[in-house]
Amino acid sequence: MSPEQLGEVVPLVLIGLSAGFLAGLLGIGGGVLMVPAMVLLLGFDQHVAQGTSLLVIIPAALTGSFTHHRKGRLVLRGAALVAAGGVIGAVLGSVFALSIDDELLQRLFAGFLLIVAARILLPKGLFGRDRAQRSPAADPDAGSP
Amino acid sequence: MTVESGANERGPLLPLVAVGAAAGLLSGMFGVGGGILMVPAMVLLLGFGQGRAQATSLAAIVPIAAVGAFVFGRADNVDLVAAALLAAGSLLGVQAGARLMHRLSDDALTRLFGMFLVVVAITMLLS
Repeated sequence: MSPEQLGEVVPLVLIGLSAGFLAGLLGIGGGVLMVPAMVLLLGFDQHVAQGTSLLVIIPAALTGSFTHHRKGRLVLRGAALVAAGGVIGAVLGSVFALSIDDELLQRLFAGFLLIVAARILLPKGLFGRDRAQRSPAADPDAGSP
Repeated sequence: MTVESGANERGPLLPLVAVGAAAGLLSGMFGVGGGILMVPAMVLLLGFGQGRAQATSLAAIVPIAAVGAFVFGRADNVDLVAAALLAAGSLLGVQAGARLMHRLSDDALTRLFGMFLVVVAITMLLS
């Protein structure tokens, strides 16, 4: 570890802590926090930030999933099917990411975040219809405190 | 809390694989888990409850991230020292987050998820 990396020890552990917390709470990998934090706060290359993020996600997602499984929330068949498609997509996506330059990848990342945010925030009507249609029998978690 | 899942939450085979493929593509491209796509897709398109969608997403992320990490690692785009430090923090954080998740209602989780995306997007825009 080089001297300039020593100053990054505490920030990296804190970024990991925050990303892990979000991963457990929101069911995401945490990369959506780790990648911007590494690039914007610590000056990592976009490519290295993304590759490092993916590696870190593995143990966090594994242990978080174990906790969810114990609580009976994990749908194993769904996870297996999603993962089956996911590994194929991941090969294509990562090979593509490696084929473009750092600056373009960073811009694409920002665009990706904006699209997801808009999708979640804008369709209030869609959220409302979905909730109204969902019967309590089909969704045992609905309305639980 | 009941363990059995509702009929809607089993989800049809092909849509689940398709959601996975799209999430995997994003995961590989952007170094994220793909949950940011899987969770809304499972809730809005496939009728999963927010909590179950999140738990299922996190499990699917494990093999998806492993494939991406392997491809990036072969191209020498992984910082192992940084990864070890981040992992040390995230292993603690993920347990705290997962335990908190089970104390919150699906509605509260949906709102949290939406707010989180807005904060990330605004931060990226301002930088």
